[in-house]
Amino acid sequence: MPPESLIEDSAHDDVAAATSPVKSPRPRGQRPSPTLRRKQLGRTTRPWLLLLPSLVVLAGLLLWPLVKVGILSVQDYEVKFGGGVGTYTGFDHYKDLLSDGALWRTVLPNTVFFAVACVALTVALGTLAALLLQRLGTTWRVICSTAIMAAWAMPAVTGTYVWVWLFSAGDGMMSQLAGSLGLIDPETTNWFTERLSFYAIATLNVVHHGFPFVAITVLAGLLTIPKELYEAGMIDGANAWQRFWKITVPTIKPIFLVVTILSTIWDFKVFTQIYLMPGGAGSNEEVLNLGVWSYQQAFALNDYGAGAATAVLLTLLLLLITIVYIRTLFKESDEL
Amino acid sequence: MTRTTTAGRIGLAVAVFALLVFTLFPVYWMVSTALDPNAITRGSDVLPSGISGEHFSYIFDRGNFGQFLTNSLIVGLGTILVSGLLALFAAVAVARFRFRFRTSVLIMVLIVQMVPLEALVIPLFLQMRDYELLNSLIGLTVVYIALSLPFAIWTLRGFVATVPKEVEEAAYLDGCSWPRMFWSVLLPLVAPGLVATSVFAFITAWNEFVFAYTFMKDGSKYTAAVGLFQFFGENSTSWGPVMAGSTLITLPVLVFFIIVQRRLASGLAAGAVKG
Repeated sequence: MPPESLIEDSAHDDVAAATSPVKSPRPRGQRPSPTLRRKQLGRTTRPWLLLLPSLVVLAGLLLWPLVKVGILSVQDYEVKFGGGVGTYTGFDHYKDLLSDGALWRTVLPNTVFFAVACVALTVALGTLAALLLQRLGTTWRVICSTAIMAAWAMPAVTGTYVWVWLFSAGDGMMSQLAGSLGLIDPETTNWFTERLSFYAIATLNVVHHGFPFVAITVLAGLLTIPKELYEAGMIDGANAWQRFWKITVPTIKPIFLVVTILSTIWDFKVFTQIYLMPGGAGSNEEVLNLGVWSYQQAFALNDYGAGAATAVLLTLLLLLITIVYIRTLFKESDEL
Repeated sequence: MTRTTTAGRIGLAVAVFALLVFTLFPVYWMVSTALDPNAITRGSDVLPSGISGEHFSYIFDRGNFGQFLTNSLIVGLGTILVSGLLALFAAVAVARFRFRFRTSVLIMVLIVQMVPLEALVIPLFLQMRDYELLNSLIGLTVVYIALSLPFAIWTLRGFVATVPKEVEEAAYLDGCSWPRMFWSVLLPLVAPGLVATSVFAFITAWNEFVFAYTFMKDGSKYTAAVGLFQFFGENSTSWGPVMAGSTLITLPVLVFFIIVQRRLASGLAAGAVKG
């Protein structure tokens, strides 16, 4: 997960030169010396030479597959010995996808509501943690931020296993705890079969993993707010609640915007955390989300075309959010 | 400025306690289950029933976990070697040179980060199968290089930008050529940033699940994250070994992450002071 540098570095001083093309003034009719010419040639080709390997890798392994998934989505792809063969089918896969009741009844609501819940809780909890960190002394701030880092560092795979173990039916710690409090019967209750409780556990997992990024980024923003603003607010008789909404939030609004949009992008494409939960890999159709559905269509049912169409739908959704993200970033810093 | 009342202090202490429990409890539960010889019947006991290394020896002796860890290590090291070098070149290009389409390149780097893996895994799987690179550590490494590259370029760019131009110019005055300046002046100064970015690239490769799970169907080629999957039974899961494996996957990431995060943060702060 990208740390805050993604946001902080967006504005740099080195842009002015980029917009005004610099032409080295040289007297007319006088040929530049060979060394000078070679230097100028180096100045124009060198950045492209340096970029070339990265661009080749990105184009071949990220951009071309994206084109390919688009092509696949209008084909029926059959796997044959020594390669696959695609037959053009037009927009059949999209028609099937959009007229499928499961998409509107379960898959899309699961994806969207889960993402919204995760983003809201992640940002709220992250902000609360940042406000707490800000009030602490140095020692406790270091202890708490290290603990927050630990939650952030936990890999999605192992983090999911721990939450599944905590909530597993019968033996899980939370099941036993709820059983001993008389809330459920741990022998008969399986939290992973119900859509709501399944996604509640997934939300807990994703928020636990995602709030550290928000906390650290918002804390960095909080530390830039001048103390005088709060002092002025207190003199004017504003209480803590009013000071938060009238001073803190407007001052670091750009930071809130960026962490919200980034969290939205990440939470829309949650895959591993759902796939590894009991029933999450497709056996329980109630809990499918767009990513898992696409994967299941392609790799469990070998219908690569349908899987590709679902993947394209998810990509378009994310692209929409990304455009908002880029626009916000540009509005803030004018230039990259 | 603020007078802290007793009630305020208690409230703060409760909040700190809640934060520590929420963040650390899953880690604690993972490690203590891995050490508990009676992991399955532990229930809601906060302390493990005993300390033993039997789950760890089980996953190495019976579960071939050493092989999985080695595979993960090979893939991770391959990823950071190549993507570190490529990202460094690209970062220097976008941070040090002005050229047409520079902003377009930067925006493209941003956008490709948003691409969902689920959209990539289908075409890349079919492509890799055509090249017969499934079940191969090289095929997986190539994919991870591409996945870690955008973020590496984006971060390194910040580190390169903090190196003052005057240092470069001084090298030219001393008669350095551009490549010489790059290796002897720029590289050592960006090295801390390069280390930090490489660690992130390593973590990306080490943690990745979807591609490793799809590409590697041969048990001897599993990475650690995928290898853990085989300890899941149909009806019951042996949680002791699963948590032991999880611990071995998590702890290096945890240590790396905490070290590097400090460095990334201090690098950013230093850049800010220099203005």
